[in-house]
This record gives sequence, C-alpha cells and structure tokens, in this order.
Amino acid sequence: MPRLEQLAELTGHEDRVWCATWHPTKPILATCSGDKTVRIWQATNAQDPSKWQCTNVLEGGHKRTIRSVAWSPDGRQLATGSFDATTGIWERDEDENGDYECVATLEGHENETKSIAWSNSGALLATCSRDKSVWIWEVEEDNDFECLSVLQEHTQDVKMVAWHPTEELLASASYDDTIKIWKDDDDDWYCSDTLQGHESTVWAIDFAPSGDQIVSASADQTLKIWKRFPPGNPLGIVTPRRGEPVWKCVATVAGQHERCIYSVSWSKAHGLIASAGADNTIRLFEAIDARPEAPGVLVEIVAVAEAKEAHGTSDINSVAWYPSETHGDWLASGGDDGSVRIWRLVQ
Amino acid sequence: MAFSGALTLSDLNDFISPSQACIKPVEVSKTAETQGAIKVDNSGSYYEVSQDGSETKLETATISLNDCLACSGCITSAESVLVTLQSQEELYSILKQNKIAIETNDPSTHRTVVVSISPQTRASFAAKYQQTPLQVARKLTWFFKSLGVHSVFDTSFSRDLALLETGREFVERYRKAIAKGVLKPPNMNGSAASSSEAAAAAASGDMEVDTPKPRKRIIRRGAAATNDEPAVAVETESAMPMLASACPGWICYAEKTHGYMLPYISETKSPQQIMGSMVKNHFGSQLGLNPDQIYHVCVMPCYDKKLEASRSDFYSDLYKTRDVDCVITSTEVEKMFGEQGQTDMSVFGELDLDLGYNSVIKDPNTGADQVLVGASGNASGGFLEYVMQYGAREIFGIDGLDVDKAIGVEVKTVRNSDFREVTLEVPGSGEVLLKFAAAYGFRNIQNLVRKVKTGKSPYHFVEVMACPSGCINGGGQLKPPGDNFAAVPLKDWIAQVDGQYRNGVLARKPEENPVLEQLYREWLGGVDTPKAREQLRTGYHAVEQNLVNPLAVKW
Repeated sequence: MPRLEQLAELTGHEDRVWCATWHPTKPILATCSGDKTVRIWQATNAQDPSKWQCTNVLEGGHKRTIRSVAWSPDGRQLATGSFDATTGIWERDEDENGDYECVATLEGHENETKSIAWSNSGALLATCSRDKSVWIWEVEEDNDFECLSVLQEHTQDVKMVAWHPTEELLASASYDDTIKIWKDDDDDWYCSDTLQGHESTVWAIDFAPSGDQIVSASADQTLKIWKRFPPGNPLGIVTPRRGEPVWKCVATVAGQHERCIYSVSWSKAHGLIASAGADNTIRLFEAIDARPEAPGVLVEIVAVAEAKEAHGTSDINSVAWYPSETHGDWLASGGDDGSVRIWRLVQ
Repeated sequence: MAFSGALTLSDLNDFISPSQACIKPVEVSKTAETQGAIKVDNSGSYYEVSQDGSETKLETATISLNDCLACSGCITSAESVLVTLQSQEELYSILKQNKIAIETNDPSTHRTVVVSISPQTRASFAAKYQQTPLQVARKLTWFFKSLGVHSVFDTSFSRDLALLETGREFVERYRKAIAKGVLKPPNMNGSAASSSEAAAAAASGDMEVDTPKPRKRIIRRGAAATNDEPAVAVETESAMPMLASACPGWICYAEKTHGYMLPYISETKSPQQIMGSMVKNHFGSQLGLNPDQIYHVCVMPCYDKKLEASRSDFYSDLYKTRDVDCVITSTEVEKMFGEQGQTDMSVFGELDLDLGYNSVIKDPNTGADQVLVGASGNASGGFLEYVMQYGAREIFGIDGLDVDKAIGVEVKTVRNSDFREVTLEVPGSGEVLLKFAAAYGFRNIQNLVRKVKTGKSPYHFVEVMACPSGCINGGGQLKPPGDNFAAVPLKDWIAQVDGQYRNGVLARKPEENPVLEQLYREWLGGVDTPKAREQLRTGYHAVEQNLVNPLAVKW
C-alpha cells in the first residue's frame, strides 16, 4: 500500500506558508510566507533527506505577504508575487553561497498579486491578481520586463496562472469558477477557451506532463481533469471556434476532500496527482487513461494514498512534487502552521 | 480594472445607487470632540445633540458626481452614474424648455443650443450608412437643426488650435529642457560641442524675451524600481517626454494611478474643451450671450469624453456653467434617430454647414460651395504627426516632412500595431534629432509609464491613447451593421471606419486656417497672452489613493 512518509519538518517562517516550489534542477526548495519573506532550503546531506537547512532568507523586497514564488526554468532567478501588488525578480550573486538580491520590480496590478508563473522557455512571465486581470510580461535583457498583454476577461479575482509544459499556452483559474486558456496570435493574446463546470472558486491548476490535460482544484471540494480536443479529433468532439481546440471535463474527483482544495500538483516524474486544502489532508491520486474494458470513460481517477493531519489542524496551502525523476518521490507542502514539510512516497 | 479603454454602457437601470464597493462612506474625517447623540425629528431631519445639549442640524450625506470622478474606489459603476447624467435625454429636455421659453416669451430660460461633432463620429456614420463624411455632416446639421439646435460645428476646427498650441508647447519645453540640461542637444553637423552650446544659449535667450513666466508644477517622482534611487523633482516646463493630453481615458487613469506622470503631460486642452472655451467665450459674445445662456453639446466617439466635460477645471464659477454641457456618443445619436422616427439616414435632408467653427472651404477642384478640410494625421487627431512636423521646422529648420508617408522620418512598428516609433535623424550621420512614439491601449501605456518612471524613455513626445487602434475605435462608436458582430471581424470594421475618416477631406495645415489668426488676435489678444493660456491650457490633479472599504473587499 503506497503511503506518504514525512521526511522533515522545516520551521522558521513566522507566519503561514503560502507556497512551496522546487528548483528546476537541484534539490533546493523555495517557500514564501505571510511574514513577507522567502526562505531557501537545502538538504544538508544529499544522502539523508531528513536534514534540511535554511540557506537564505529573502527579505525587504515586499511590503506585504508574499503569496507565490517561482523559479525561472534555468534556475537562475526567482519571481515573487506579493499582496503589495508587485512582483519581484531576484537573482543571486555568482558564487553559490551568495545572497539573493531583488533586481527588478514589476508594477501595474491594482491590488494583491496572487500567482506568478514562468513559461517553459523562460521568455515569458505571467502574473495574476485580485484586480481580475492576467498580465503577460516578456523578459528582456538587463532585467527589464516589458508588458505584452493585459487580459481582463475574468469577472473575479484570478487565483492562479500556469503555463503548458512545452507550448506558449497559459491557463488561469479564478474566483469566477472558471479556468481560461490564453494563446498568442501575433499581435495580442486572447482567450481561446473557458472551462466551466466547477461550482465554486477554482483555487489551483496544473498541467499533466504531456500538456494535454489539466487538473483543477476547487472550493467545491472536487478535482476535475480537463482534456484538450483539437479540431477534427477522433472522438468527434465539436470544436466551435474555428481552428481552436476545446477543453472538456473528462473526470471529477468528488467525495474525497471534505473541504476546499487549495493546491494541486501533477508530477512530471511519475504522473501522480497530489492535492491538499482545508481538510488538513494531502491526498494522492492516479489518472488512468481509457481502457477497453471501461468504454465511455476517458480518464479514471484512483485514490492512491493520503496523509491526514499533514500539518496538524492547519490548512495546507501548497503541495509540490519534485520536478524530475531524481527525487520524483519527494513532495513538499506548506501550511497555515508556518511549517514546510518534505514527504516521500513509499510504495 | 480602473482602466476604461473601451468604456461601454451596460447594466444600467433607472435605479442609480452607489455600488457596494463605494468607499466614500468610509472616508470620515475624525473630529477631536467627544461623541454626541443623534436625534431624528418629525420631518426626518437628523440633528446631532452634543454634550452641552445644543443641536446642530446635520447635512444629508451626498455623494456627488465630482466625488465619484475624483475617487478610486468603485470606479466602474460610479462612472456609469456619471455618464447617464449626460445623454440625449438631457438634450431633449433643454430643447423642450426652449420651446416653452419661446412660447411664453421668456428669454431668461432659453438656452441657445450648439452641437459640435467630432470627425470620428462622422467617419463612423459614413461607414455604417454608406455616406461620405461631407454628406454625414450635412445630414447631421439638418437633423439637429430640425430639433431646434441653433448651430452645428465640427471639432476638426478646434483641433487645429489644439495642434498648434501643442506644437508650440512642445517647442517651448524642448528648448527649456536643453537650456536646463535635462536634454542633451543633438550634434547637428558632426562638429564639436561648441555649436550645440551656442544653440542652447540662443534657445534660452529667446525664451527669456518672448514668453511670460509659465506655471511651474513640481511633483516629486516616487522611488523607482530599485528602492535606492532618490526621488527627483520633475518640472512641467522642461519635462521630457511630453505626453499628449487629448485622451481623457488616459488622463483619468494617470491621475488615479500614476500621479508622477502628470508633470509630463501636455497642458494644452483637448479639441473638445477648446471648442467648449470658444463656443462659450467667443461665439457667445458674438451673439451677445453669456456662457450660461448657451447649451453646448459635443458628439464624441467615446464615453470618457463625458468625464472630461465634467471636470471642475472646465467649470466656470462665475457663470455656473460648464464649457461643454453635455457629451453624447455616436451610438446615442443613432438612438436619437430612432427616437425621432428617422431611421433611414439616406433620406435625411441636407443643409450647408454653418460657417464660423467648421472646417469647410470652397472646393478649389470642383467649385462646389463646401468641401471638408482638416489636418492630416491619423484618426486620433494627428498629434504626433503635427508636432513632429512643427518641431522639426521650428527647432531644426527641417521642412517637408510627412509622417503619414514616412517622408523624411523613419516610422517603425514596435512590438505590436498599437505602438509606433517615429524618428527624425540628421541626414547622413544618423544622429537622432527627435524621437516620438504613439502608444495606444493599456499594455503599451504600461510599458511607457514604466520607462518614464525609471528614466529609460528615449522619446521626446508620445501620443497616448487609451483605446487600441485609437479614437476611431472608441467605446461609443457605431457597431457594424447587422446584429452579428462575427459577420464583420472587428479589425476589418475598424479599417473601414478609418478609411472613411479622411474620405473627401482635403488636407489643410492648422497654420493655413485663416480664422485661427483672427481668433488669436480678437479673442485671445495674441499668441502667448494670459488669456490664451487661460482658454487653451489646463492642469491635472493626482487623486489620493484611498483606503479600501474592508466590507467591499472580495477575497
């Protein structure tokens, strides 16, 4: 029976931990918190993953809670999205033990920034905010960022943005219960599809490793899997907008979580989905593609493991799988108790 | 978001109340006194009873439209409150009142109605109803006069004045900027610094003699991206780049969100407001009327122009009247057609355009009595074009430029179709003399604001417009015929309307407008007089960032 085993509990943040994110290539974790700082954690001993130390504290860059943090795909920069409506870009000094310095501040959002995400090429950065807009920035040389587009089609607070693993395709999740898919058409970005089905705020989204599916987590206590159907697809799903693929909900996970689900992560290493939220439990699921003996079912979701009271009686705000197979069984989580925990999936 | 690039009327009903997000009630100035009690009397009036027993009647709390305009709380619904107070309904009620005034022979309640139509509105009707702009102008003249309107004018006329003033303001600023070292003078002929020093000295020398001391507005620029940079005071009179001021969407946004940009904005009024000043203060006096005896309506391509007309800077305390009383949009005029039972524009009558503030001349080609003329330049007013040509001539003595046809200047589309750069170089050496840009739409304004804030803007002048594609695509412009928007893709429709903008309009430089010289002389007493500054220039006011009403915050 697979289970989640806690490897370490990392303390140090003085307020709730909002987001935990792994470095793209090294066993380094960045976490951000209501205490307005980002902490960088590293395993002290590569052989013993139960010992971690906090190697850097990034402070002074934001005036309010840092709500989300993301590494650039080359691992050289960190972006922080804060309730003070700005996004900070941090870089560290050349030598490995240098300090991180805030090299740029992106302004423009009217109020709290909720989420930021780098595209897989590292050329674009997306930010979203309570002001209902999604901004797309282009990274230029000399740490200058140019605003490419301001997308204002959500009707409420936008909670999260996530990029497709390989294409320049963006998804955003909102308090308006929808997920929107954004694409670029030469001159400007536009909304190519709106995914409706959740009955409450969509808090988090993540793409499947292939990029053809999205998992979404909602305050309606369900997870949904959405699959992309291009025009002319073999199943005959209608694609109403000329040339645009359409995304359809192919599975719903209901009755598992007992409260809002705040975070979801789809492992790029082994394809398991981790979700967590207000019911204090981390749950793992597997999405199994269509099998001949179950006709009409495109994707089946099977519960794999769960860790109750993962952060005691505190809400869990973020879960993140290690991004590659090196430590594909590691999962990081951050919660309202101010702690960061590292878990390992034991088969 | 605050930005109302394409502000449209929707979700309006007769029950107008402040939005839940209205924060005005939260802004209570705290008094030092201890609390008293509140008493309500039989008539429903509220009294505050203070500790010693005395009662003071409390004023009914009201949220006026000006409060809404100056606030950054719930913007959208407040602006919709504001725009409904200016609509064709207002115009109808004034016209009705006039009829009654005439019948009862009571001139004190009569207001002479003047309507000024924008060329973008003309183009919009021309595209939708398959007419030429001249036909549209003649038919709208007929339509409005049949309702009782006294005169119908064209804001292309006041735009000539706006362009000329903007050009002059730019040259003044440029010279001051060079004199103060804000700008480095360009190397005109490859020789050493001595020539540019001489040019700078000559420039500053000129300025002392010609112009009276301009208003100095010093606003502290906030800390830039890296927290170390000290705040620098920016003075309007030499602030570079100069940003165009004709778009009220841009102005309101800058006032609410980017107060540090205000010193850079040109102080010249927009064509709408210059027309307002002319109609109330010059035309009125010619007819022997006071400003409050005239009712001035402007027909515009967008709703933000309604906000502009309501600004307190354009209100006369003396006569208790605004320079522009009412702004209606192209779509509202179309509604008027229906309300008057005249839906088919092709069978409208036609009238000659009123002389005075119209841009019409006798057609030199056909001999016809009237042909439309106007400044060349794109459908957002042609500010970039004109200031480039004017600046090149006045500062560097370079003539014969044509921005439209890219003659003498390099025109480049940067990033996207709504951001263009126009550069004037020294022929041969490639040294940049003037570098201008046009930034339309929110994302480009963001980039511009960021560059100016961090001091990295390479431009001398930027034409800023809130709507993508500019005024031709304003929020109040007519939609394409037929109900289905998908029938005509938006880009194609915009191109069609844009094509009508200069259809049959002969190009005429503002300096060639014979009436302007007369206006400067008779009305303003000269080109740089205090009256000229009063009538043709304005100011901007940053809006304080207000605290958020916690009850209205939606997490």
